[in-house]
Amino acid sequence: MSTLGRILLVEDDPKDVELTLTALEEYNLANEVIVTRDGEEALDYVYRRGTFSTRSNDNPAVLLLDLKLPRVDGLEVLQQIKSDQKLRMIPVVVLTSSREERDMVASYSLGVNAYVVKPVNFHEFVNAIKELGIFWAIINQPPPGSIKAN
Amino acid sequence: MKQARLEARQATVRYKLPSPKPLSRIQRYGLAVLAVSVALGGALLLERFFFRDVEVPLFLFAVAVAAWYGGMGAAVVALVLSCVSFDYFFVEPLYTLDVSRSDIPYYTIFASFALLVTWFSTVRRRVEGELRQARDDLQIEVAERTQQASLLNLTHDTIFVRDMSDVITYWNRGAQELYGWTAEDAIGKRAHELLRSVFPAPIEEIHAELLRSGRWDGELQKSRSDGTQVTVSSRWSLRRDEQGRPVAVLETNNDITERERREREIRNLNEELGKRTAELEASNKELEAFAYSISHDLRAPLRHMAGFTELLQKNTASLLNARSQRYVMMILESAQRMGNLIDDLLAFSRISRTETHKTMVSLEQLVEEALTEVRKDTDGRNIVWKVGGLPPWYGDRSMLRLVLVNLVSNAVKFTSTRSQAEIEIGCLKHGQDQVVVFIRDNGVGFNMKYASKLFGVFQRLHPPEAFEGTGIGLATVQRIVHRHGGQVWAEGLLDKGATFYFSLSKSQED
Repeated sequence: MSTLGRILLVEDDPKDVELTLTALEEYNLANEVIVTRDGEEALDYVYRRGTFSTRSNDNPAVLLLDLKLPRVDGLEVLQQIKSDQKLRMIPVVVLTSSREERDMVASYSLGVNAYVVKPVNFHEFVNAIKELGIFWAIINQPPPGSIKAN
Repeated sequence: MKQARLEARQATVRYKLPSPKPLSRIQRYGLAVLAVSVALGGALLLERFFFRDVEVPLFLFAVAVAAWYGGMGAAVVALVLSCVSFDYFFVEPLYTLDVSRSDIPYYTIFASFALLVTWFSTVRRRVEGELRQARDDLQIEVAERTQQASLLNLTHDTIFVRDMSDVITYWNRGAQELYGWTAEDAIGKRAHELLRSVFPAPIEEIHAELLRSGRWDGELQKSRSDGTQVTVSSRWSLRRDEQGRPVAVLETNNDITERERREREIRNLNEELGKRTAELEASNKELEAFAYSISHDLRAPLRHMAGFTELLQKNTASLLNARSQRYVMMILESAQRMGNLIDDLLAFSRISRTETHKTMVSLEQLVEEALTEVRKDTDGRNIVWKVGGLPPWYGDRSMLRLVLVNLVSNAVKFTSTRSQAEIEIGCLKHGQDQVVVFIRDNGVGFNMKYASKLFGVFQRLHPPEAFEGTGIGLATVQRIVHRHGGQVWAEGLLDKGATFYFSLSKSQED
């Protein structure tokens, strides 16, 4: 199979984490997924701080970001990443329950690469995750500095 | 007031009093002749009774009378006649007009004395005439002033005059009406004490301004005779005498208590309105937060239910019997349906929450787009479309599009039982200010008894197994149409079809 980019999933709800991982597993996309449970942890990861201070010096191929998160919310994470010269190239996909226009407008104006509303229907959800995983982890050529797992 | 009017009448009467009528020329000279004749008669009579030398004082008296009453001409005539009579009757030789040389100084003195008397009386007369003229002028002026003063009584404005030591000298009817004090009460009193004036600035500053510019205006608090407070708009004008010294202040007041009260009321109402608006905004925000929360938090557990149920179904497919599998299916269907309900409810609430962006919109193009949107439901159906012309109209494009999509998809849905569906879209009425659009179908229709329930949220006239739907479509249509200043209504006949109408008004802005 083709090389697979590392996916950073930022999601606070364990059920959503499980569903997302299940959907990714279904298509063998789950072997390089790092899960962080809030915005703070996600920023720790990308800045290699705290528990992630010893991780290798490279960026994830894509960041799947929920908006409603404890401590630091998704829009803040997005804003920090997109305003940092070294991190702004990381593709960020907002993956949220919110269909609200203001969330979309805010995300796009902060420079999000894609905005996906999680479908209620599991088939559609799995399809969406699958396509996201395939596109960002496999098809898309990530910016230099991202790792490609084997 | 009564007093002023009385004064005016008295002045008018005095003004009309006739001056002593000037005598005519004949009367004046007649008077001279008469006076001299009386003097002559008297002298002759007295001479008969041996009174001597009374003729000269008598003739002088006659000249004086003529001069007094007849003027200079009559005096001269009397003088000449006196001289002639004296010469003729009393100077030797008697009964001739001869004048001896020795008598000439006597005559001269007599004539000079008579002329002096005449001159005095003329001066006296002139002075008297001038005095009379002056009196008349004065009376005219007084009458005019009094009339002006009574004119000031006609106005409802409050006008009074006070001198430089603040003592009231004039008080009109308006002042009496406003403050309750009569002119008799007020005149002679100090204005600021009587009215207990409250000034907006130190009185010295006000006076300085008055003396500098000759006028002042501002709002004052004053008290009526009954003690109640009154707010007046007050204008002061300074009156100066001929030497430029300030002598009086004319003060005009208008009662603005009511205006003040209304202004205060309006201010209060505005504040109240501001508060209400803030409250409304707050509750709108709350509603928005609520909708946001629904959007986020309600959908997540639903997604989990659906997701894990589906995983359960997949992992246990071989273990479950047919009935259990049906249960799982029903759970999934319900989750799906609840997801749709949440989405529709959010869309419905969004219509109220978002602002309308109105532009000129081609309704025909919107109908085209609506037809494209429902195409997936019309595949394989036999539908005869009749689409009439529609005018361009002023409105929110995406909202009006939603109206047409909802109504057209309803027509498609409720004609699904027909072998040949007929759907007509057209314009019923098109005026300057209003357009009425209709969508008619030959579907299952409805009983007019339930027409009022058509547009309620979650109101449905059909069981879900007959026609699917959440019951929000027509409520959404109604809300959008209302936001365009229009109405929506429907006519139907059970099993014969339905016609939905909506009007849009041009002028209404929201």
